Amino acid sequence: MHEAPIIHLGGIPFDLSIITMLIVSCLVVFLIAKLATRNLSVENPGKLQNFMEWVIEFVQNQIAGTMDLKKGRPFITLGVTLIMFIFVSNMLGLPFGIVFEYDSVEKATIFGHQIVPVVDTLNSAIAAGEAHPHAEVAFWKSPTADVSVTMTLAAIIFVMVHYLGMAKNTKSYFKHYLEPYPVFLPINLIEQFASLLTHGMRLYGNIFAGEVLISVILKLAAAGAVGWIASIPLMMVWQGFSIFVGAIQAFVFMILAMVYISQKIDTHEEH
Amino acid sequence: MHFVWTSTVVTLLAFVILYWLLSRYAIGPLMSVMEKRRELVLSQLNEASTTREEAAAYVEQQKEALQQARKEAYDIIEQSRQTSGKQADQLIAQAKEESVRLKDEALRDIESEKNKAMAALRGEVGRVSVQIASKLIEKEIDEKSNEGLVDQYLKDVGTKS
Repeated sequence: MHEAPIIHLGGIPFDLSIITMLIVSCLVVFLIAKLATRNLSVENPGKLQNFMEWVIEFVQNQIAGTMDLKKGRPFITLGVTLIMFIFVSNMLGLPFGIVFEYDSVEKATIFGHQIVPVVDTLNSAIAAGEAHPHAEVAFWKSPTADVSVTMTLAAIIFVMVHYLGMAKNTKSYFKHYLEPYPVFLPINLIEQFASLLTHGMRLYGNIFAGEVLISVILKLAAAGAVGWIASIPLMMVWQGFSIFVGAIQAFVFMILAMVYISQKIDTHEEH
Repeated sequence: MHFVWTSTVVTLLAFVILYWLLSRYAIGPLMSVMEKRRELVLSQLNEASTTREEAAAYVEQQKEALQQARKEAYDIIEQSRQTSGKQADQLIAQAKEESVRLKDEALRDIESEKNKAMAALRGEVGRVSVQIASKLIEKEIDEKSNEGLVDQYLKDVGTKS
């Protein structure tokens, strides 16, 4: 199993891989968006501008499907940011990986700081009496294959949704917890946290599983000539499926965020 | 599964910054352009519909004008037909009048000629009867007595008149 390159700076842990990949994702998303909107034209849009407009219109249609578009218009930018950021993040881990291998505690450093999980793994291996202890550190992976990233994204949506509910829809927001009967209050509370948890965990699980299987296929390729040959079609199939899963998960995350928003800003006028 | 709390902070920061950058530099301008395009298309549609309406109104107007022109032409023809008929009637009436006048004139001429002829005839008859009478009398009386008779006659005429 790959370890995470975590170092401690002044007692605070930093996951360098996640930080790097987050920055890379943000840069890629921003570059795509910026290139697409470089020469904006009303009457004669370029190919990239068309693509970007297609993305915005796609998100807009999804929002219009979940709520009144007049209320949903401010969330278009959020939806586009979410879907692009998560899609790019999901794709980043697919094409290649950067893995460092360490076999001694002394060498397991970055910028002079110890990589904590590697040191722990090596120490426990040495304590177990292994002859050749080694640990692998993955630098290049999808940031969405990390639970802290996906849960943060879900938490951003969670906090925003509940803030919107309280600020814009106060009465029915609080009433909603006592529906259909006040006895249901605990269940309603659990539902809220369950949706937060599933929102983040679904994305994490899908992408993480995809990367685990990729590394498993890579291990198969490293096992021998037969494994190497067998791994090629497996890898092709799984990469293709991962692209599909990554796109679907980005879409699902965005649409769920919009559904949660619409649930909380919906004033239930029809009841 | 490592849950590193700084990753959370970094994710939050990265996402918020990305959101701000995108809305400021990419999606905001792009959406305003899309809105502009929507307005442009809408205005062009409106323009097209007004142009179509105008064209329809124009065609209607043209049809009306054509109808009117046709009616006018018909009126003109009708009028000319009427005037020509009237003129013919007038001519005929004039001719009739003329013929009547000519006839009257002729009748008057005939009458006056007849009167003239009668007057002439009366004179002639008088002279001839006088001649006849003188011829008859010549045989009975001579020139002298004749002369005396004429004188007497003339006298009679002179006293009586």
